[in-house]
Amino acid sequence: MAGTIKLEKMGIPGVFMVCNTFADDAKSAAADNGMPNVRRREISSADFYKLRGDVKTIRPLVEGAFDALTRALVEPLTLEETETGEQAVGDDLPAEITVTAGSYRLALEDFNQTYLDRRWGDGLPLIPPTPDAVKWMLSGTSRRPDEVIGTINPKHGVATIEKIAVNAVMAGAKPEYLPVIITIMECLADESYDDLHILASAGSFNLLTVVSGPIAEEIGMEAGIGFMGHGWRANNTIGRAIRLATLNIGHTWPAINDMALTGRISPHTFFTICENAEFSPWQPYHASRGLNKGDSCVTVASVHGESQLNHFYGGMIGTWTASGVLDRMVEDIQRSDRRSLFLWGSKGVGKYPGSGEGPRNHMIIVFPELAAEFKKMGYDQTKLQNEIFKRSSIPYEELNPAERKAMQKALEIGVIPAGRNGVFNKGLKPGEKVPVLVSPDDLHIFVAGGAPGCAFSLNYYRVPPYNKTALMTKKITGAVLTRAGQ
Amino acid sequence: MNSKTAFSETGGVTLSVLNPRGKIEAVPVTSPNPRLGGLDGKTIGLYSNSKPGMDNFYAVFERLLKKKYPAAKVVSMQGAFLIRDEDAGALAKQADAFVYGVGD
Repeated sequence: MAGTIKLEKMGIPGVFMVCNTFADDAKSAAADNGMPNVRRREISSADFYKLRGDVKTIRPLVEGAFDALTRALVEPLTLEETETGEQAVGDDLPAEITVTAGSYRLALEDFNQTYLDRRWGDGLPLIPPTPDAVKWMLSGTSRRPDEVIGTINPKHGVATIEKIAVNAVMAGAKPEYLPVIITIMECLADESYDDLHILASAGSFNLLTVVSGPIAEEIGMEAGIGFMGHGWRANNTIGRAIRLATLNIGHTWPAINDMALTGRISPHTFFTICENAEFSPWQPYHASRGLNKGDSCVTVASVHGESQLNHFYGGMIGTWTASGVLDRMVEDIQRSDRRSLFLWGSKGVGKYPGSGEGPRNHMIIVFPELAAEFKKMGYDQTKLQNEIFKRSSIPYEELNPAERKAMQKALEIGVIPAGRNGVFNKGLKPGEKVPVLVSPDDLHIFVAGGAPGCAFSLNYYRVPPYNKTALMTKKITGAVLTRAGQ
Repeated sequence: MNSKTAFSETGGVTLSVLNPRGKIEAVPVTSPNPRLGGLDGKTIGLYSNSKPGMDNFYAVFERLLKKKYPAAKVVSMQGAFLIRDEDAGALAKQADAFVYGVGD
């Protein structure tokens, strides 16, 4: 929709053609972009998706839509369509709402139903964000309640410390978690982070948050067996606070403007975990991202939706050796990333070269016993990155013509950044090997889980569709109830 | 229970709760452009965000357009989900009107 409005603003009349499943989304986006009356014409989603594969099969659908589309270009605008001015697109509601009922149980039920009816909830029971409860939550940070940290897509709602705290209360979080929650929101609201893709895309993309540094243990985050699961108040309510804060501050709702077709795995908490620092033989993960070892940090990473968790095994699932698990990592990355090599020559689906397709990055979670074995083998994170990068490269002779052409094009159009050109120019020659990743730095390796554990990875595009980055680490600040993160 | 959860004189309970929504700044509203007087002799831009099937849709659309308006011309363009600035500039220069299809 934003593209249609961009062209309209350049002076030419147009029409946006949308499948009816996405009609509400289009209407919402038209308002968000300041042209609520931009002309839209719907076609049947069911018919389009079924018939679009061939010119012959789609013909009846086009014939049916033709008049509506062409008329939209020539029929004069109605009076309503020419209205201009200023529209308030937010909720027209007071800062404080009162619920009255015959008993506390009924008031609680009324509150929950009211919030869910307004699309302010996530479907699970909410803790009432009373002024006292929010004040209590704010006691976890030294930051001013009215401080603005940025805006959240798709409606660019303003994220203040207080609004984040309100949502943290609703999620059941504790004040000592608030600095972590704020920092995650700072990543998502960062002007270079692509929060839109994970919050609204039909592809059901998801969010992985990794907390590293001493604050994780201090606030009671679980890093052992079951670390991605339920039962851990810190992990679960930090994640739920992000779920609610993005929903409420960004103003999203399923099938309206959050078009994740299947919803998301772990929908109420995203994937919210912490590094197992106690059993990691390596430097903290955030140190590999350029932050100080002693800091407490969050790393926020967009990840693919369903069916994209790649297991490398280990623990009690079967017999394993560290070298065997490493082989699986190499084979998996080589196989999976090779499948998208032919796309490296594409400009991408967004503003930046390679956006939304082509090269990928991988978040690799290593369990403690495996990390200890890797250390015995002489690997730190950097050596492991280099090893996987090198071994997953493919002999030049094995590339097919389309892949070779795509790689050359990737060099020309900047999908491979200038600083990496030397590696690829060398590799794209007979007798050499061509990497399937842009850089070893696109492998993010850290320890989490217990003993026995399991190694696995999640992945995503190296460059997202709608912004510069989808992987960000920030230092936690402003904590007042913990020694770390102050 | 907290200070804002009050039991009323009639025995009821009043719960005061805060609004969790992020404020959205008012957006200036602009109007779409005036429409064309007709399509004959005009150049119509057909933009697709490269999702599957839009090329087939537009292939049929173009045939129908030229059949009904023989003097009409078509400029087809495939590109990003959100049309890039340079593509938008090029399309706006060449086309008198446009259809924007996203395949969603």
